Amino acid sequence: MATTSESASQSTDDDLGPLERWTRGVVTDPDRRSRLYRALFYVVTVFFLVTTLFPFYWLLVLALTPNGLITGGDWSVPVPVLGEVLFPTPRGFNVAAFVEVFQQVPFHLYVFNSFVLATTTTIIVLVLASLAGYVFGRLEFPGRGVLMLAVLAISYFPPAAFLIPLFDAFLGNPITVPFLGLELFSPPRLVNTPASMIMPFSALFMPLSIFILTTFYAQIPDGLEDAARVEGTTRLGALFRVIMPLSAPGVATAAVLTFISVYNEYFFSSIMSLQNEPQQWSPLVGGILSYQTQYTTDYNLMAAASIVGVLPMLILVVVAQEKIVSGLTAGALKE
Amino acid sequence: MARVTLDNVTKRYEDVVAVDDMNLEIEDGEFVCLVGPSGCGKSTTMETIAGLTKPSEGTIHIGDTDVTSLPPKDRGVAMVFQNIALFPHMDVYDNISFGLRLRKYDQEVIDRRVEQAADIVQLEGMLDRMPDEMSGGQRQRVAIARAIVREPDVFLMDEPLANLDAKLRVHMRTELQRLHKELETTIIYVTHDQAEAMTMSDRIAVINDGELQQIDPPLTCYNEPANRFVAGFIGSPSMNFVEGEVTADGLQTDNFDVEFDPTAVADVAVGDAVTMGIRPEDIHLVDRAETLSSASAVVDATTDVLEPMGSEIFVYLRLDDSSSRTMDDEVTAASNQLLMSVDPDTAIDEDEPVDVVLDRSKVHLFDVETGEAICHGLEAREASPLAETETEGQR
Repeated sequence: MATTSESASQSTDDDLGPLERWTRGVVTDPDRRSRLYRALFYVVTVFFLVTTLFPFYWLLVLALTPNGLITGGDWSVPVPVLGEVLFPTPRGFNVAAFVEVFQQVPFHLYVFNSFVLATTTTIIVLVLASLAGYVFGRLEFPGRGVLMLAVLAISYFPPAAFLIPLFDAFLGNPITVPFLGLELFSPPRLVNTPASMIMPFSALFMPLSIFILTTFYAQIPDGLEDAARVEGTTRLGALFRVIMPLSAPGVATAAVLTFISVYNEYFFSSIMSLQNEPQQWSPLVGGILSYQTQYTTDYNLMAAASIVGVLPMLILVVVAQEKIVSGLTAGALKE
Repeated sequence: MARVTLDNVTKRYEDVVAVDDMNLEIEDGEFVCLVGPSGCGKSTTMETIAGLTKPSEGTIHIGDTDVTSLPPKDRGVAMVFQNIALFPHMDVYDNISFGLRLRKYDQEVIDRRVEQAADIVQLEGMLDRMPDEMSGGQRQRVAIARAIVREPDVFLMDEPLANLDAKLRVHMRTELQRLHKELETTIIYVTHDQAEAMTMSDRIAVINDGELQQIDPPLTCYNEPANRFVAGFIGSPSMNFVEGEVTADGLQTDNFDVEFDPTAVADVAVGDAVTMGIRPEDIHLVDRAETLSSASAVVDATTDVLEPMGSEIFVYLRLDDSSSRTMDDEVTAASNQLLMSVDPDTAIDEDEPVDVVLDRSKVHLFDVETGEAICHGLEAREASPLAETETEGQR
């Protein structure tokens, strides 16, 4: 095909198949090409939207359908030509499920727990990762590469590897000298408290934030930090007053990622809170699972609870997105 | 306001010595320029004064306080940076008041001082603009306002005009001088532009390879350079250097002789190899040199390239028959070339023979080995011995 001369292709244009004609058109005609690109863009976007939004739709359907209709349900929808097609559509309009969620279980307490855990962890991670990011991004010192590699390596450890030793440590059992049985001291009993969850969360989600902030802080010109220090801040002051505000997009990204990760977390928290009760700092996912008992599963309530749990996240992302955009424009002011 | 003293300040990076045993005394209220080629350590010197860099050795005093290990914020200095370094996320008011707000001044005091500072640098009515909405000169003025609003003891300016266009630079130069007159604060100013240094400062500190070469008023640096480096660095175009040998009758070079009495000059003996230096404006055409009291013998030369500047013409002179026309920096150092400046109304053409004389009272002699100045100005044998050797040992 590539060897076909221009004149030959002109003369035989009518003999080509439709696909070949179309391909040639796209290659030679910029208008057609941009139309193709636009079409591809929409296809990919629609695919992405369907895969993310369809589960939400499904949750909504489940929440609105009374539980009895879910288990014994008939999900077929009559479609012309094709006949009956299986597709989830609401069987009823049981908005009461969203109220019942709070009546059966103190679900708001579970949400509160997750919110507190996520907020505290995010603050701790941002402060510590900022310090680390400043050091890694802006200072030259021997062993920097090795240290960064170590942080990276630790971030690849499976969290499960820490679970048993941490659980043991947080139980508060006295530390004894092996073989002698001598009691040294009793550490505080941290299970069922937020500390037992915030500490591992902070450690687990720190490396990612460190890497994000290191790249952002490294880009702030030295002159700005020098100016701040001459004007009267310490190095730390320059970090929090000048470098961090100018890295707002990076800080927002690190914060949102950490917050969402902790908000979704169930692996550590399910074990560190010994029973699935809000008073023992069981998180959001624990709350959703508590609609499931040994003999019954309230699918509609679980779905409703999931939607309620997502709402704060949705608000946060909308707010943070505004911040990210404003942070981006502030970053553009750099000389 | 305070005097700044550097004692034996040395700054070493891993294998480079950026500042080598620097001793500086800057008087209260003085405007001193640190000048030198790129990478000579002038910026590092300033950073050690600001406290952004800690010297490897030596002490720094501002006023009577030893500030060597004080953080920048406690030194009472304000700095204007080459890249201006305004905080891009703050408006002009916040930028200027940044230091005052950190020091927890009353809002009233801050407002009044910001207004005053903005007034001095003519920024009234722009306080709520963001830095990116301003021109380069306006930003530079904000940076200066940010520095003066704190009423510091010492101003440090690190090539503040380097990023401005030529016209604005000349304008800001005069503004800075006016500012210095108004504030009467010590100003230490780093630049690689010797013209800036000459026009603005009370004294120039010429630095090369991390070492202080000379610190003197601009005209002293120009007329009595302490060594060959200063002679070549100060002045544009730069001084001519010709290698030669001292004979009983004077100085002998490959292409011409300058007669003087070697016995009248200390540190020179017959047979010494020396470097002669003479500025382009001290070389004259013979027919224009009648008024010259200490003209040298006539030198035969051929004009090479002319550079008409409007106010004067730079003439490259060929002293021998070689036709090399290399125009790089070494031209002035080559023994067979001289650069001369003549009046713009002189009738002169390329590639024509001319006779020129040197003004002996403006000839400098330098030691070939060390580059140290031996004397400035040569007298004929019958005249009295010259007296101008005081710049010896200025370092």
